[in-house]
Parts: sequence; C-alpha cells; structure tokens
Amino acid sequence: MTNGEEITLVVDGVEVRAQAGMMLVDAAKHGDVEIPVFCYEPKLGQPVGACRMCLVEIEGIPKLQTACSTPVRDGMVVYTQTDRVQEAQNAVVEFLLVNHPLDCPVCDKGGECPLQDISMGWGPGKSRVIDPKRHFQKPIPLSPLIKIDRERCILCYRCVRFSQEVAEDEQLQLLERGASTFVGTFDDRPYIAPFHGNIIELCPVGALTSDAYRFRARPWDIEDAGTVCTLCPSQCNIKLTVRDERIQRVLARDNFEVDDGWLCDKGRFGYQMIESPDRITEPMIRQGGTLVPVSWEQALEAAAAGLRDAGERTAAVVGGPSSNEEGYLTQRIVRGPLGSPHVVSTYDDAVDRELLLELSRPQLAASVADIDRAESVLVLGTDPMHSMPIIDLRIRKVVRRNGTRLAVATDRPTSIDGVAEETARYSPGAMSAFVEALAAETGAEVYDRAEGELGADAERIAGILRPGSTVIVWAGEPSLAVADLAAQLDAKLLEIPAGANGRGLREVGCTPVAGPGLSETSTGLSPTDLCEALTEGDVEVAFLVNADPVRDAPNGPGWNEALQKAKFVLAISMFEDGSTKHADVVFPAESYTEKEGTVTHPDGRLQRVRPGVPHPGNARPMWEVLAELAGLLGDETGIDSAGEALAAIAQDVPFYARITEGEIGGLGVRWQEREAARNFPLAPGARPERSSVVVPTSHVGTTGGVPGASPAPASDQLQIGTYRDLWAAEVTDRSPALRFLRPTQTLELSPADAERLGLNGTPEVDVRQNGTSLRARVAIRERIRPGTAFLVDGLGDGAGALARHAVEVSAAEGGE
Amino acid sequence: MAGQTRMLFRHVDEPGLASIDTYRRLGGYRALEKALRDIDPDELLSSLEDSGLRGRGGAGFSMGKKASFLPRGDMEKFLCCNADESEPGAFKDRELMSKNPHQLIEGIVIAAVAAGIGQAFVFIRGEYWEVADILDRAVEEAYAAGYVGENILDTGHRVELVVHRGAGAYICGEETALLDALEGKRGNPRLKPPFPAIQGLYGGPTLINNVETLSNVPHIVKNGSDWFKGFGTEQSPGTKVVSVSGCVQRPGNYEIELGIPSREIIYGLAGGPPEGHEVKAWFPGGSSAPVLTADELDLPYSFESMADAGSMLGSGSIIVADENVSIPHLALRTARFYHHESCGKCTPCREGTNWTVKMLERVISGEATPMDLDVISSVQDNIIGNCLCVLGDSMAMPVGSMVAKFRHEFEAAIEAGRDAAPRPLDESPTDVKPVPVGAAG
Repeated sequence: MTNGEEITLVVDGVEVRAQAGMMLVDAAKHGDVEIPVFCYEPKLGQPVGACRMCLVEIEGIPKLQTACSTPVRDGMVVYTQTDRVQEAQNAVVEFLLVNHPLDCPVCDKGGECPLQDISMGWGPGKSRVIDPKRHFQKPIPLSPLIKIDRERCILCYRCVRFSQEVAEDEQLQLLERGASTFVGTFDDRPYIAPFHGNIIELCPVGALTSDAYRFRARPWDIEDAGTVCTLCPSQCNIKLTVRDERIQRVLARDNFEVDDGWLCDKGRFGYQMIESPDRITEPMIRQGGTLVPVSWEQALEAAAAGLRDAGERTAAVVGGPSSNEEGYLTQRIVRGPLGSPHVVSTYDDAVDRELLLELSRPQLAASVADIDRAESVLVLGTDPMHSMPIIDLRIRKVVRRNGTRLAVATDRPTSIDGVAEETARYSPGAMSAFVEALAAETGAEVYDRAEGELGADAERIAGILRPGSTVIVWAGEPSLAVADLAAQLDAKLLEIPAGANGRGLREVGCTPVAGPGLSETSTGLSPTDLCEALTEGDVEVAFLVNADPVRDAPNGPGWNEALQKAKFVLAISMFEDGSTKHADVVFPAESYTEKEGTVTHPDGRLQRVRPGVPHPGNARPMWEVLAELAGLLGDETGIDSAGEALAAIAQDVPFYARITEGEIGGLGVRWQEREAARNFPLAPGARPERSSVVVPTSHVGTTGGVPGASPAPASDQLQIGTYRDLWAAEVTDRSPALRFLRPTQTLELSPADAERLGLNGTPEVDVRQNGTSLRARVAIRERIRPGTAFLVDGLGDGAGALARHAVEVSAAEGGE
Repeated sequence: MAGQTRMLFRHVDEPGLASIDTYRRLGGYRALEKALRDIDPDELLSSLEDSGLRGRGGAGFSMGKKASFLPRGDMEKFLCCNADESEPGAFKDRELMSKNPHQLIEGIVIAAVAAGIGQAFVFIRGEYWEVADILDRAVEEAYAAGYVGENILDTGHRVELVVHRGAGAYICGEETALLDALEGKRGNPRLKPPFPAIQGLYGGPTLINNVETLSNVPHIVKNGSDWFKGFGTEQSPGTKVVSVSGCVQRPGNYEIELGIPSREIIYGLAGGPPEGHEVKAWFPGGSSAPVLTADELDLPYSFESMADAGSMLGSGSIIVADENVSIPHLALRTARFYHHESCGKCTPCREGTNWTVKMLERVISGEATPMDLDVISSVQDNIIGNCLCVLGDSMAMPVGSMVAKFRHEFEAAIEAGRDAAPRPLDESPTDVKPVPVGAAG
C-alpha cells in the first residue's frame, strides 16, 4: 500500500473511501464524521498531537489514538462515538476549561470560537471546577497590532508553530512549563514580523486578537465578502469582514494554488487605507488652482476634451493595482480614438516584443504550486519578502518540508538567504551578466563561461539546480539569457512583476511594445523616454490610471517635473498625492474591495476582484467610467457590465479566449492550462532570432559601459542598488495600524566599506551623486557585497534615481 | 551482602574502580574485545535479544528487540544512554555511573556496534554534575585506550561518545523529550509514532537505553545469554539494582535477583521501618508507580508480578511509608512534583496535574468535601491513557491508587483540616490578584 492509493476504512460503522496516508481526522470527513481538533492544522506542517481533543478508538489498538496524527490504512475500523471516546473528549474539554476564563460575552472570538463550538458539541456540559483559575495581566500588546490574553490561551501551540516553522521568524516561544506555560517573546519584546497577523486567525480562542478589530463587531453583525488583495503581485485570496458596509477585518480565503492560506500583514491590515477619510470620493476638476468636486458629466466632458485635443500626443500610465478591464479600456482609448502608442504599466524600460513573448510563453510558465513540486528553486534578482511576500513563505515551506534545494542570486541580501544552500551576490546592474554566466555554467553554449569570482559564483549556483525540476523565481532585468537558462535546465519561470497586476496589464496591452494579447503594434515610448517627452513637450497629456509615478517611478523627481510640464493630466486615484497635484481632472479610483473585474496573477492565473463594500461617495465602477469616456471620444464599446468588459478582453487577447467570470470562479484559472493557450502568439518550439532581441541599455547607470559590467567605483564611492521595501508603500502611510512600519531611508553597506569610509559608529550619512543628495541612516550588513550599498526606493526622496550609480557618502552634516 | 546478587555491583567496593586500570585489572573491557573480535554484530544483537534483558528505565521493554527495530544499512544512527535519572526515589544510575563508569561505556560501545551505530551520547541530568565529571574522565580514558573512537581495537569499528548534561527537567528523561533537548530544543515529548528506533535524534534511527540496561550488556556478552537467564525469573531475567528509600533503617542501592520476595528487600536488606513501626504503603517502582500496601509485601519483585498487582516495577525504586506518613500529604507531594515537571504540551497532563494539586490542597486545608475525592479519582482516570507521554499517568496512577486504597485517610484529612483552620465565611479561599506580565498566578 502506497500513500495516495484509494482505500476503504470504517468510521462509526460507515464505509469511507480515502487515500492511504491521509490523516484519520481528514478521512473521517469523507464519511461526514467530524472529529474535533484544536492543535491540528495541516497548514502548519506535521501534526503534534498536543491538545488530545481528537482521541478515537481504533480496533486492534488498545489505547485511544489521536486522529490528527494517525494515517489511515485499508480496513481500519474506527469509532468516534463510543462511551470511551466520549469520556475522553469530555475529559479534554473539561481540562481545557480548567483555566479558561469563560468570558465569552466580552470576547471577540465569541460566536466564531472553536472552543465554544467544541465545548458545545463534545464537552461534558457542566463544570466541576471550583478552583481558582490562573491569572495574567491582560490584555497586553504582543505586538503593535495584536493583543494577547494569556488567560484565554489554551496552549494549542498553533501560533508558536507558525512562528517557528512557517514564518521561521522564531520570535514566539513557549515560556515557563506545565500549567504555568505561556506564549511570549524573548524578554517581552514586541513580536514584529511581516506575517505575524496570521496567528490571529490560527488562534482557536480569543487569546490573540487584532488590535484594529477588537470590539468592532460580533460575528452575528458581520458578513463575509471574498475578493483578491491587489496590494502586491501575490494577489492573495481574501475575505472581507463587513459590518454596516464598512470593512472591519481581512481574513485569508484559503487558496492552496495562490497563497497556501496565509496573508502578509500588509494585506491583513491594509484595509484601513480603504476606510481612510482622505479618500477621493468625487470627480474633480482643477479650477483656479484647486481641485473642486464636480458632477460626473462635467468631469467626463473635461477629461474627454483634454484627451481629444492632445490625440496622439497622449500617454497613459497604468498602475499596478489596475484590473485587466481598467487596463484594457485605457489602452483601447489611447490606441483607438486617440491614436497614440504610448501606454506603459511599469517604470522599468520595456523589453522588445520578441523577448516579452519568449519570457511569457506558456510552456515556460511555472505555477505557484510548481514550487512545491520542484526539486530545486532559484531566486534570481529579487527578495520575495519585499516583492511578493507570500512566495517567501512557500519557499521556506518547500525547503523545510520537501528538502527542496534553494539557490539565491541577487544584488542585495534576501530574507531567505538563511535557508538557501548557496547564495551569490552581484553588483547592482550586473544581473544580466550573472545570468549569462549561469546559463553558460548550465551548458548554454551561446555564452562564454565566466572567469574569476563571477564564474565561481555561477558554478556554485548551477550546482544546486536540478535539470527538469527547477523553478526560477525572478525579477529585474529581462534578458534572453533568462529564457536560455530556463531552456537549458528545462526549468520553469515565475516572474515577479513590479505591479500587483503587472502580468495582466501587460497581456491586455498596457505596454508600449505590444497590444492586447501581446499582439504586434506600433511601438510607443519607453517609460524613461516618456518622462522625457512629457518634460520636453513632445507628449502633452498624461493619463494616470491608479498610478503615482512621482512616488513609484525610480525617477520620481523627473516625473514630478514631467507632469508639471504636461498640458493636461487626467488622474484616476484613490488619494490626492504627488501626481494628482498636477492633475486637471481627477476621477475617484476604486479599491480592490469595491471593484469588479479580473486580475492576472504572475503565474497566469486569472482571478476575480469582487466588490464587498459600496463605493465611497460618488465613486463609480471604473470600467463603466472608462467605457463612457471611450464613447465620448468616439469608441462606442457597447460594454455595459464588468462581464462584458471581460468578454471584450477575451475577444482581443487570443490566449484568454472565451474566458468568463463563471469559469474563473472563486479560485481562479490559469490561462496556460486552458485550451486557448494554444493561441499564444509564439509557437511552442520557435525561438526568436538572437539578433532581433534588443538588450535594453537604459538600465545601465551613467557611469556604466557594457550592461552588467559596471565599472568598479572609485575608492571613496559606492555602487548603489535600490530595493522596494515591503512597507515603502502608500498603504503603510494610509493605514494607521501599519504606519509604525514605514521604513526610514537607510544606507546598507558592508562592514569592509564602513571601515574603509570611516562610517563605523556614524548614525546618519549624506549620499551624494551629481548634485542630488539625500540623507540616510547607516546599517552595516555582513552579507552585502563590498563596494555596493543599498537604499530604499519608494519613499518619495528620489533614492530610485541613484540606482546603479556610484555615489559619495559622508557623515551627515548638521546631523546628530 | 546476604540477599544480594551482585553482577553490576560486583566490584563496587573496590577502590579506584572508576579508573580504567582498576576496571581492566578486574576483567573490564574483555567483553568488548570479545564482542568486536569474535562475534559478528548480528550474532551480538541476537544474543542480546536471547538474554531477555528488559529495559531498566521504567517501561521494561526487551532491550535486544528494541535494538533490532533499528533499520539496517548504511545511514547515520545514534545511541542515547538515558542518564537523566530524575524519578523521585531513583538513585541507582548515579551509583552505577559514579562507581563504575567504564562498565557503562563498555556496554554502550558493544550495543552501538551490535546495532551498527557510530555516534553515542550519554544524556545525564544536570544535577549530576559530579557524576558527569567522573563520566567525562572515564570517556577520556576510554578514548585514550582505544575502546572508543575511530577504529576501536583495530577492528575497524567506530563509535564516538559524547557526554551531554541536561538542564534539569524531569521530562527530559522521557526518551523523545530527551532527543529534543539533545538537539538543543525545548525538552518536549514528541508524538509517537514515528518511534525513535525509526526516526529519532536528528531524524536518524536512534536506540535509547537506560544506564543500568547498558551496564548489563558486557556481562551478557562475556558470559552468554544462557548464563544471564540463569538469574531472575523467566520473564524478568537478570538482576536489578533497587534503590530503597523512605521509612527504612538502611536506605540505599541493593542489587538483587529479580523475583525474590519484596519483603526480603524492604526488611531483609533495607532493615524495614524503624523499630516499632510498620509498613503502611510502598511504591514498588518510583513515585510514579501505584502504591501497594503491607498486604502485598510478599509478592515476588519482578516485572510481571508487580504488573499483576496493578502496579509496576518501573525503574526499581522502592519508597516505603510507615504508619506515621499521612497519605494525603504524600499524594499532594507526589502530585506537586509532577505538576511542577509537566512540560505543558498536552492538555490532560498540563491541566490535570494542576487541577489535582489544587484539589489535594483543598483536602489538606479542609476546604474539600468527600465529593471532591470522587472528582479527584475521576480526574486521574481522565488523565491515564489520554496523554502524549506517560508523565501525566505518572501522577494519576499513584494519586489514583492512594485515593482508592486510603480513602478513609483523605476523608479524615478533610475533617481535620476543617477543624484546624476554621475560616470566617467572608474570607475568600485564595488571594487572587493579577500578577505581573509574564508570570503565572
């Protein structure tokens, strides 16, 4: 008998079919038998059998067994209702209540509490305990976001296991022993970790409660609404807790294929941004220098007039959280009635269409769940913790549970370095050179094997990667070498785009190099050139769709100037920000909790974003507004619903053909797995002509020469790389609960450079390059490559513009 | 001494036995030489199994059989000698290790070779720091003499041995908690299966044996399993070092042949209670064994006979209580120990030991009623068999047996407590105040 084989067992006299190796508690469900559990949670890994709630009788075994840890066998006979089992269940419930305060009427968990439910279903129904219960000071903050009530805690270990074995932050511990045991952190330090909110959901009692949700609602006041979080490319599936049309809480909506049932704290607490009183709730027009609310008719007229005048001198910037529908309609307006080719959805300079096709081909695409099945994983050019946090947890999971071999090759140290078998560091801007060296090591003959340190690093990394069973999670400089590396290893690629719906927007045509479905189109300006063209006046009108280039583009100050110079700016935005400052017309944007539409996950999974709460004020569905705008400009789309907008996309994107909201459903569907994937514009075997692929050179800094081979900086200089910190985001600033996480600009450098530049003990420095200067705190980090240093992008201080430049660093003048 | 059968303690009075020279002079390490040179490991293993040697740590499982559960083949396997002797009443391993450490080392190396193990540990309780020092010195000597390490006695066998000191937790004597502690984690028992023989230390197959069990191994190898079976009973072959303590005139360790009448140990060897006093109750196998009464003194002292009497031989530690001992206080003392030592991982043990202590405290202070005695009994029943490891049972069995066999004393204690401390009705029974962060009330 092997695991997975279909077997039959008998539970309470009923024959149940299950797969061998399944835990009894799960198999019993196939026979509609519920076995109560507290500590069992498959998401946390191996069962621990600690709470003893699931004791059952198994024929042939004298002692009662824990159903959570007993794999089923063929012919097993199980009893879950006998007197003996009931006595044990009653006993465990009674024991759990010996110290539980029974303050259910004032407990947030009351009404959705497993301890209540199990006490009702499997408990003795009366108490014999008259002895005093244990007491703790309560509730006290476990973190700025979570309160802990140690009296309510039943010591099921779930939260500790999460911290130790899932997030691996190892901050939560059990302290003391026996009945005095309590959950805490070393020295009572606050538990600050990016995934720690998950323990609120894991807690089977009201011991861990969300500070933001405490006393906001009782379970009978609330409704659930499912949607997808579009705060980052993870696109985790979430469930909104809605009371009186306001979001009170965000919970995970388990989707193994996407998020494994976890959320990061940004997704969990970021809903506060949506409830912010600063939201733009009405269309506005700039009159006399200020934005004043107007009717939709006026706003649309003004927008249409502004766009119509500019015509082909219009450019659209579509932001990451935009839905496919918003992106599609925007590019349709720009390419159609306006006749302009300028549509971008990322601030990284676009690759040419051939390379885009090559890297997007369905045969090369890894699904998120492919990571679970791979024997090795290469993380290339990105720190998933910051770029797609939920992937960080999945990689940790496969390394821990499956023994998957992990290699990390990045410029900046990553949070998963600790679980990687091999790590390699290259200089900022040298990713392509590294990938070429790596491809050469794996046997791609078109590249020369590298010498020296680069060659040795590439060899080490290549040694980890298993041909035929590797997933490459990557971001950064796109190059043909990435595709060659994947082809050489027969590996699959998972690209992490910069925007939450980066992949979807690209596929519906929001890129200057390709139209909807990556079709051929007349090429528009790259983001860098676009910024310049706006500044120079070659392009006159900017159409910003959920985009704030002043904050998000690496060259924020440049965009600020560009938008200022623009003749007309139409912005769709949730908040007044650095970009709407220059807007002539503003439409209130929808959030992912109000929007109806679809997004495409980085692995190609189309998912539905669904409205859970009504639009604030006069805000309207954006697909509707855009369709109306298209109509005013002369393109009668005939789109009267979000579904029709999706149908129009399915019409224009051949590899999305015939996809409907119904087919996407609650868990999404990967387009690569549909019949229509055959319509992908690149035939499976075809490789682009090498000479036709243009390597973008604009990545290379002004000090640079050949891509990847950045010259060594002068002895008093550092080569700067930037990274977008998880918390360097609008949502951090706009959500009161998360505000404490906003990063301070920090220059991370190696101990050798700190020594060399005399920065040991210097708290703050000024970083200067070619006239620009910014102030940063100093952090010395062991794993940084000497000669390189890193700054946080996305803080609005223009750090992004320093990327790949050599800078001078000196102790802050007039600082502490 | 009359009544004793000395095998492990044969040379125990020899000065300097702890040094390798004396040990060798008295025939030490011959068994190891024989085992490595003349017997192949499979044969060694089957002779251990044939001898019928049962684990001396408490469970009494066949040592040879346990060793045979380890998978064969080339993989990293471990042997852990459990020297975390923490059971109240047990002090036999301390003497075995401090007086004759080389006997243990010899046993460990032979057992390791028999089971194809290359890395062995002795997990010794932290409080035995003097013993650990002796053991450390002995291990050093054994390494220097080539009995431990690479290529032992030029036979190609390799066994490394490390003495690891625990940090002072009773639970770490539980074999899987011992493994966690040895790995540097919080000492909590693991779920079984997988059993350590399949997946133990660092996930590798692991053989875990008590000090006394392993100390028997050289004697079996040297003299053969048939010779060994000549001692003791059919189901409990060999000798046993019994730690006798409590109300006896000559407390101490006595090595006896298994199966002799218990009275002979308590009265004959340990001298019985002081003149004019009588045995009221006795623990036959440490504080975790259900108590027996004076009527049961003539039972043969063997694994099977103690089990038949509803108790257990356990680690072979006899604690004697005479008529001056208050059974309710004894029950409370016992319960407090296990309450203090419970790791807290599983519900019945964590909450059951805690609740039992509170109830027994009420018995002593007179705040209980006879009905509470029924609750105490029922709580013990609810603990037994429902826990992750046997620590909960270790309290529930003796406490349950005391309430069952001496209920009248508990009832009298309630009455006496009530009379002794009349309490105004308005005073609350305990002072309940929130305590500072992090501390349990």
